[in-house]
Amino acid sequence: MELNTIKDAFDRVAKRQKLSCKSQEVVEQVGHEIEQALAKIETTNDPLSPGDLKSILTELKLKLNTSGPLHQLEGLQKENNTNLSKYPKLLDKAFNPDISKAYRNVDFDFHIVNQIIASHFYRQGLFDLGDCLINEAGEPEDIVIRSHFLEMYQILEALKVKNLEPALKWITANREKLMQTGSSLELKLHRLQFMEIVQKGSKADALKYARTYLAPFASLHMNEFLKLVVCIVWVGKLDSCPHAELMAPTRWEDFTEELTQQFCSLVGQSCHSPLSVAIAAGIEALPTLLKLANVMAAKKQEWLAMKHLPVPLELGKEFQFHSIFVCPVSRDQGSEENPPMLMPCLHVLCKQSIMKLSKSSSRSFKCPYCPSEASAGQCRQLHF
Amino acid sequence: MEIDPLPNGSGSAAATPAETAATTTAPSPASNTTTASKLSQLTESLKLEHQFLRVPFEHYRKTIRANQRTVEKEVSAVISSVTDVADSNELSKADAVLNLTSLVCRLQGLKRKLEEGSRTENLQAQRCRARLDHLESMDAENLSEWNNVRLKRILVDYMLRMSYYDTAVKLAESSNIQDLVDIDVFQEAKKVIDALRNQEVGPALAWCIDNKSRLKKSKSKFEFHLRLQEFIELVRAENHMRAILYARKHLAPWGATYMKELQRVTATLAFRSNTECAKYKVLFEPKQWDFLVDQFKQEFCRLHGMTLEPLLNIYLQAGLSALKTPYCYQDDCTKEDPLSQESFQKLALPLPYSKQHHSKLVCYITKELMDTENPPQVLPNGYVYSTKALKEMAEKNNGKITCPRTGLVCNYSDLVKAYIS
Ligand SMILES: [Zn+2]
Ligand SMILES: [Zn+2]
Repeated sequence: MELNTIKDAFDRVAKRQKLSCKSQEVVEQVGHEIEQALAKIETTNDPLSPGDLKSILTELKLKLNTSGPLHQLEGLQKENNTNLSKYPKLLDKAFNPDISKAYRNVDFDFHIVNQIIASHFYRQGLFDLGDCLINEAGEPEDIVIRSHFLEMYQILEALKVKNLEPALKWITANREKLMQTGSSLELKLHRLQFMEIVQKGSKADALKYARTYLAPFASLHMNEFLKLVVCIVWVGKLDSCPHAELMAPTRWEDFTEELTQQFCSLVGQSCHSPLSVAIAAGIEALPTLLKLANVMAAKKQEWLAMKHLPVPLELGKEFQFHSIFVCPVSRDQGSEENPPMLMPCLHVLCKQSIMKLSKSSSRSFKCPYCPSEASAGQCRQLHF
Repeated sequence: MEIDPLPNGSGSAAATPAETAATTTAPSPASNTTTASKLSQLTESLKLEHQFLRVPFEHYRKTIRANQRTVEKEVSAVISSVTDVADSNELSKADAVLNLTSLVCRLQGLKRKLEEGSRTENLQAQRCRARLDHLESMDAENLSEWNNVRLKRILVDYMLRMSYYDTAVKLAESSNIQDLVDIDVFQEAKKVIDALRNQEVGPALAWCIDNKSRLKKSKSKFEFHLRLQEFIELVRAENHMRAILYARKHLAPWGATYMKELQRVTATLAFRSNTECAKYKVLFEPKQWDFLVDQFKQEFCRLHGMTLEPLLNIYLQAGLSALKTPYCYQDDCTKEDPLSQESFQKLALPLPYSKQHHSKLVCYITKELMDTENPPQVLPNGYVYSTKALKEMAEKNNGKITCPRTGLVCNYSDLVKAYIS
């Protein structure tokens, strides 16, 4: 994108500052002329004849009208206005002048939107902002979500200063549920704490910690346990410890991230702000949608009534939440009625395509993608 | 997803051109194309920032115009005063001195005003530049931070349009993005909206006069509607004589263009505010004031080069359309999908479903996309998972695989790779 041309164009507009200096000069000049006339009137000895007075004033009047301060101002403004009107035209050209073209004018319930924004703030630990919005918009408070995120935020704040206490408290309280998901957070927490002690250099402290807190994990995580305990040997000369990865500088961040993920999933929340995800998807999708809206500009009604978008909006991997099978032959999307089927050659088509190729399973057919033959009976349904 | 190389290598059967094009399996050109497409995507997303540059510029232009008008008006007033003084015949010396001195004062006042005005202009020009710089600052390295700021800008825009000023200011200040949002532009709107909510039209009318030429250009009916409302209030107060005078003075000029509407409203003179006739009753309802607020917001946005809808709604709607699939409304939709949440589902209800031209398969276990690097494998029961997930499971369990959805146990060697284009 040519931001430079736009910058240059703006500089031309901003030259205006010089123009505004010039108009100040014009004002000064007018003032100066009047002051000169005043001086003449006042310094002329009494009695000033009415004729003299008249001629001074007439001279002033002529000067102001012929030197044309108004004319000068007009000229300045003309120059200015050309640039002022050029710049927005350039913006219209370089940017998408109306990004609401693809917007469907449907009722977008702003109460829902407000709630979504408030949870977005809570999730980031911005409780003040969330509360402020709820108050200002007069929305009911979502106490559950707020208190969940408040708890999480307190745990994360403590982690920032390497205080594992609140995290441990939460993990212990939710040990059962975490176990069910196969979480090893508790071990990882003790590992973090243990390595801190090891790095401080007291073998006795390290040993004591290992006995109290690591030993319970020995049966389930033997390898990990041994790896940790052996570090005690290198206390004081950790540089040569073979398990340097245990002291990776990102270990606190890694733990924080994992804890955040598991916390969110345990309280039934997504790990990323759904608002951020939806907006990011919108920013990727909107350019294509706008092009489509342009193409369909003449068929506005059709555009608004559409139940399926006519073209794909290619989004990044991070927005792929569902398996979508598209039959390479019919281009239909797989569904319960028309599921994907695996042929013996390991190519996959949708059921309807196979029915068509096999003339309703009456005979065998050639795979469209390889020379193998297959019959409908040999094909089996896939579940993604 | 990209197509796999054919299992037996004999690509004699016809693949459609699209598939042939997709058969790029070498990693380096593929990643080159992804960076290239990423870059073009960034450019495309920058092009959405029209309002971001346009709004401060409109503000700037308005200040410039106002300053120009002031100089012109004042200077021409001074010159015509000088002309009057010079042309008057029985003027004493004292009078002349008095007159001229007052003109000098007036010019000094103008000079101060101009200096003040040019300071404002400078600040606003700086803001325009700050926005250009901000757009320029986006690159691959700071992308996530930049996107964060963009979301905040979008949120501030939403709050300002919804009149949640405190939250807007708080968010802007705490994120230090005051130059990147239009709080000061909306201060002007706030005055008018607050007044309309108190059923006062004064500030709104003043705003219309300020922007007369541009409103006329866009054929705005806003001022007409304000006048109608004032008229209705006079009828409500049973102030009939004044209502008639008001109509003659302020409504009649619109008659040529909007006769029907004018007639309907003036007919209320005969009905009074307690009328039961639905057509006229509605004119006396307090929600008419809400309509005026809405109408003002629209005019205000148009005049400042903003979209009529909040940016948040526009982006959210686009995002929801792109994410919406029939699967979102099923119980097993992953939590990471915004559309798994009831609130987002409700918002997406009137929107179309997204469309895919090619299969996109997500591993049930890892939630990662299955592609050439991580191809899908089929269990004997037809359930499909990613190679990565299955390998990891097999390594942990001596080559055994347990299907997480059906409980079926099989050997890693029982699996077959599926070729899905
Ligand atoms: Zn085949
Ligand atoms: Zn979904």
